[in-house]
Amino acid sequence: MTALQAWLDAPSVTIVAVGALVGVAATLLGTFLVLRRESMLSDAISHAVLLGIVGAYLLTGTLDTPLHVVGAALAGLATVVLTDLLVRSRRVKQDAAIGLVFPALFAAAVLLINVYARDVHLDADAVLLGEIAFAWLDVVRVGGLEVARSLLTMLVVTVLNLAFVVLAYKELKLATFDPALAVALGLRPGLIGLALLSLLSVTAVGAFDAVGAILFVAFVIVPPTAAYLLTDRLWRMLAYGSAIAVASSVIGYRVAVALDVSIGGSMASVTGGFLLLALALGPRHGLIARALRRRAPRPPAGADLASSAGTSAHTTAAAGPAGAPR
Amino acid sequence: MTVVGGVHEPTLALHVEDLTASYAHQAVLWDVDLNVPPGVLAAIVGPNGAGKSTLLRCIIGAVRPNAGHVYVHGRPYREQRRRVAYVPQRTSVDWDFPTTALDVVTMGLYGRLGWFRRPRRTEADEALEALAMVGMDDFADRQIAQLSGGQQQRVFLARALVQDADLYLMDEPFAGVDATTERAIVDLLKDLRARGKTVVAVHHDLQTVATYFDWLALLNVRVIAQGPVTETYTAENLHAAYGPRVVLLGATGGPAPAAAPADRAPGEEARTPVA
Repeated sequence: MTALQAWLDAPSVTIVAVGALVGVAATLLGTFLVLRRESMLSDAISHAVLLGIVGAYLLTGTLDTPLHVVGAALAGLATVVLTDLLVRSRRVKQDAAIGLVFPALFAAAVLLINVYARDVHLDADAVLLGEIAFAWLDVVRVGGLEVARSLLTMLVVTVLNLAFVVLAYKELKLATFDPALAVALGLRPGLIGLALLSLLSVTAVGAFDAVGAILFVAFVIVPPTAAYLLTDRLWRMLAYGSAIAVASSVIGYRVAVALDVSIGGSMASVTGGFLLLALALGPRHGLIARALRRRAPRPPAGADLASSAGTSAHTTAAAGPAGAPR
Repeated sequence: MTVVGGVHEPTLALHVEDLTASYAHQAVLWDVDLNVPPGVLAAIVGPNGAGKSTLLRCIIGAVRPNAGHVYVHGRPYREQRRRVAYVPQRTSVDWDFPTTALDVVTMGLYGRLGWFRRPRRTEADEALEALAMVGMDDFADRQIAQLSGGQQQRVFLARALVQDADLYLMDEPFAGVDATTERAIVDLLKDLRARGKTVVAVHHDLQTVATYFDWLALLNVRVIAQGPVTETYTAENLHAAYGPRVVLLGATGGPAPAAAPADRAPGEEARTPVA
């Protein structure tokens, strides 16, 4: 018990663990967002949830209730629903609709803070950047142990997201790949999408205190995108993405300490480093593999393949560089 | 959709009544009635923007119509999901999705599995069997972007076959496939018909309608004509659907040869006429 407590008391452990948990929680959901080509919704949601937090604060007068999680989830859903309504009007495209909705909600939240909650620990800077370096200062007691509050929150959120992805793996996959078939089979892809984005909103709130909106968005988008370049199996994309998120937290912390720079910013930069590596070294989509294939193209394999060359950029990419005769 | 309970038109495989659907106040389907008897290969044919795909999407509930109802073998679609297989347009999904051909076919069984239950060995075996039926079992572990257009279409067909449905709804099954695949698909459809199944396919090639299909619905927002292909494939009906400029091959009572259908999608290969 004391050994575990000593471990939990070490600021570096808490900081790295919170970063890693935010990373894994965000990556699990981000994988599906990236595949649905909706990853910028994470940016919108991570800003809009501030309105939910402020709303919950104005209702209860405190920041220490679980109600702000509910408020944040509602604000996140409001973003999605309002965006959807704008898109359905056929007057604006989805990217523009997102850009119209979340600044409005975020601005409303900032104004509400300025008018009603000036003296509370709630400001736009904290929301955008967070401060993971102080994560270990705010502790709660759980079963005789003192645990950093954000560590506990993110542990719960990560378990929740993992349970969702494991339980609804097949539903998420079908809703992402072929929503029309999902409807036809009665598997409610709309409901799955709302659950995904609700959990994303909850994750955004959990991640707020610790890492801020920007690092959160980086963790939602970058590790899955890097993992996408490394594999063509969905479960591996989830696993590789999570591994990249954890590694980014560990390496990012070390780099930040060594260079004396912002820890969150350093973690985000390291995810970007992994993306560059994946872009260069990916087995099929990587730049090096592509260059090698261009020098030694594979001969067409049978009439069927040859007759449809050009339908997809990957048609000719059936074999890796190792398969090229040379 | 208002669902009238009970049995309705049980002798029809597909019964669509008074269906109207719109996008942004523009009607894309207007008061459509469609009746398809069991055991036929039915083509839905019409120009671009005629609402062909929307009609299929209304039937499966992916588009909410303004009015109308859909009955499959005498019961509302929602009660008959297990008896219907839907094949969307090949281009409607992202083939760069990280998954394999076998996995895509297994998706056809997700409805039977129900919520949260994982596919197991039996499902994988059934999916592999369906892939073998379309001659694609050697490609089971291929990532789907590595397949040609024709192979991708066959994977989609295998996904419908694995459902072992009674009614197959197919959106442009021949779009962008090579001649070999086209013939393979035609054989497959005829095999389904021989087993008493019903196929309703959106089709774009006027030249092959009469050889591939035995039932025809001409659609241009409204239903222009429907019935056995021998009765409906007439110059008069085709002109009503496509306008006066379409010329067709072998239609009764019209000007003769070679048609260039107005709505062939770009990138499709020229096809060899069969028969």
